[in-house]
Amino acid sequence: MADGLYRLRVSYRKDGRLAYLGHLEVLNTLERSIRRAGLPFSVGNGFARRMRVQFSQALPVGASSEGEYFDVMLTEEVPTGEALDMLRRATPSHLGPLQAAYVVRKVPALEAWLNRSVWRLHVMGEGICPEALDEALGLVRRAGSITYMRGEKPRTIELGPTLVGWEFVGARDDGTCVEMLLDTRSSNLGALRPAVLLDAAFGQPPLASSRQSYVRVCRSAQWHEENGERMEPFDETFCASLT
Amino acid sequence: MRVPRTDCFDQLEPLLAQVSHPARYLNHEWGAVESQEGPFHVCMMYADVYEVGQPNLGIAILYNELNRAEGISCERAYLPWTDLSALMREAGVPLLSLETSSPVASFDVVGFTLAHELVATNIIEALDLAGIPIRAEDRDDDDPIIFAGGPSAWNCEPLCAMFDAVLLGDGEEEIVDAARAVRDARAAGLSRADVLRELSHVQGLYIPSLYDVVVDETSTRHGYAVPKPGEDVPDTVYKRCIPSLADTDPCPQKMVPYMGIVQDRLAIEVLRGCARGCRFCQAGMTYRPVRERPADQVVQAAVEGLATTGYDEASLSSLSTTDHSQCREILLRLDERLRDQGVRVSIPSQRLDSFGVDMAAAVSGSRRGGLTFAPEAGTQRLRDVINKNVTEDDLENAARNAFQQGWRRMKLYYMMGLPTETDEDVVAIIRQAQHVLDIGREVVGKGYRSGVTVSISVAVFVPKCYTPFQWCGQLHMDEVRRRQQLLLHSAKDRDLRISYHDAKVSVVEAALSKMGRDGFELVYGAWQRGCRFDAWTSEFRYDLWVEAGQAMGIDLEELAAEPTPMDARLPWDHTSPGVSKGFLKREWRRAVQGVTTPDCTRNSCQGCGVCPVLGVDNMIAGERHG
Ligand code: SF4
Repeated sequence: MADGLYRLRVSYRKDGRLAYLGHLEVLNTLERSIRRAGLPFSVGNGFARRMRVQFSQALPVGASSEGEYFDVMLTEEVPTGEALDMLRRATPSHLGPLQAAYVVRKVPALEAWLNRSVWRLHVMGEGICPEALDEALGLVRRAGSITYMRGEKPRTIELGPTLVGWEFVGARDDGTCVEMLLDTRSSNLGALRPAVLLDAAFGQPPLASSRQSYVRVCRSAQWHEENGERMEPFDETFCASLT
Repeated sequence: MRVPRTDCFDQLEPLLAQVSHPARYLNHEWGAVESQEGPFHVCMMYADVYEVGQPNLGIAILYNELNRAEGISCERAYLPWTDLSALMREAGVPLLSLETSSPVASFDVVGFTLAHELVATNIIEALDLAGIPIRAEDRDDDDPIIFAGGPSAWNCEPLCAMFDAVLLGDGEEEIVDAARAVRDARAAGLSRADVLRELSHVQGLYIPSLYDVVVDETSTRHGYAVPKPGEDVPDTVYKRCIPSLADTDPCPQKMVPYMGIVQDRLAIEVLRGCARGCRFCQAGMTYRPVRERPADQVVQAAVEGLATTGYDEASLSSLSTTDHSQCREILLRLDERLRDQGVRVSIPSQRLDSFGVDMAAAVSGSRRGGLTFAPEAGTQRLRDVINKNVTEDDLENAARNAFQQGWRRMKLYYMMGLPTETDEDVVAIIRQAQHVLDIGREVVGKGYRSGVTVSISVAVFVPKCYTPFQWCGQLHMDEVRRRQQLLLHSAKDRDLRISYHDAKVSVVEAALSKMGRDGFELVYGAWQRGCRFDAWTSEFRYDLWVEAGQAMGIDLEELAAEPTPMDARLPWDHTSPGVSKGFLKREWRRAVQGVTTPDCTRNSCQGCGVCPVLGVDNMIAGERHG
């Protein structure tokens, strides 16, 4: 490497109680894990001299994940297996690292690059059936956009570019839970949060007599999409020796 | 029957999706003690939200000491924010501990931190949410024993109706002794009253139920406490005092929170106590003598603590870190060890002189945020009254040095309503700040682009017990308001920014600082009317406090402003940090005469009484100068 730095990409989970951590809390926790692990991380030259680490897109509070990512710059090339072990020992298990590999330096930053997500949703409540939910989601999609409140401010998200599709996986007969997969795409115009989509669906006539208590949200995969092609975060074209 | 000890997280979890900052309630932080086998269980409670309570170093110390003790486990609990407590009440979920999510009411001992006066209604709220009888006298043999202790324990009378025992002074050994005493007494099958009698033999423990309050011609209307007839308890309980800080764990803070907390960094206590003798300062009187931690221990603890916690900032905490005799050496050595790791070192308070600025420069690298000084008063006369031994020259040199070293924003702290204060002293605050601003412009250059600003923050003086000003009344609220206006109107320069504290909050603090056991009726009345989180400006409801006062026939503002006769017996005379009343009286007389008293770590003993009474001494690691 020209400047003697190595870019280590790590995938990690977020589950259990730690699903309730906000994005900043996850960032802080993992930065501290990297420090505790004793990895030879590189520190930026800027004013604040921060660790050089980049994360994938924020998960909503309460959402878990089977695959989040960060890239950290190291000043030495620690073998990936060893780096992964060091991280494991220093990280709360509910944010535990899964895989690691060095990636070439010039690949784009994770946050904008990972533009596709699949979410596994458990929609809990009363009187919910896949058919009605499907119909309601269809109405929302046809409306083209959703306007919702984020804190005090109204926000609008266009569904054309962000909502790719959905699929039902299972449902309880008593109408208390529907399990589904949701496919979304993010861009610089924004990302669609699963809970926002479901709130909008529950405002539609087909679900008028049902009630949503809460949605368990888990991101099950994310990848990069370009011209219809799918590229994985650990794609072999830019990453070596995945562990 | 005590509430059974069971993990109730599954009752709490469904509520978390509906509240702000669920990370407050998750627990299992890195470094938390997960094995909680007991069999004797203590819960340390800070009655505010997690992010305010978690950084508290005192709790971290007690938590470790208890968990280290054979057969004793210790967990933490905080007060849920109002959104969650409402949901918990609705769902019938009681207050839970963090580590095992057990009901707080299931513990053998629950300990409250008395961090400041305004925590009062939150303690009631915590007991109520826990389902523990609020008044000690209503508790059964089986109910948890409720401890309290901390910086604000010196007048615990207004709250002591809720406490079975109050721990005075340094807690690290005291808490373990106290927990063991409860355990042994319970094992012997003693009644609650006899458990408390046993506790009264632990040095530093005050057992309120074993004292009567007497109101007579020798006291104020708030009375004084004497041992109940037939009880074998001391007339005066003296605080516990650790002779040497070097014998304590230098890095008690082992836990790393998930959420951003108020002081999100590793804290190393570099010294305990301060003998500068500022006459308004309660901590300066109650934490004596001064005990420094040796430089080697500080440096090693910081380096190791950073490695095991992963923090990127270490704070050298104390009442006056730059007074440490090895301050320069510590900072240089830390800089050498930590330079390449992107780690910051911070010092919370610096001396108001050129040395203080040099030390601030040593820790800040190339960063130059704001620099804070506390002259406390605007004139030399008033600074002499309060024994703030800082001259106009010190301030000028410090300011010049700071501007030369690259700082642009200066923050100056003052107090309003100090004894003997006149309009001249108030106006002088502005004059002094203007002078600092002028120095900045002279050093850095004029004009908007130079970025030189001075902000002034003015608190309202609250007379505190065990200070030479304990007999003073607080400046009446109307007069505070007039002087605040005078201050505002004296400032002409737009680069001088002025902020001042809400006088109403200070009235409540002053009332609780001076009342005796009669204060509990006030606190309880305020809580019943809905007061919670009084230390939060968004939540503080002065009208409800006033109402609670009226209901018991008192006018809070008049009460706060009332001076106390110097020969009266005081509500807190029996719980002592060791400072003698004679010394405090002498200090008061010297204050009125404008005579200063030197710092006993740089001069000879000034006779405050602490060392001979407690059998301890100042322990200075090197040599103090300046
Ligand atoms: S007794 Fe003397 S040496 Fe000890 S703290 Fe008081 S003034 Fe200082």
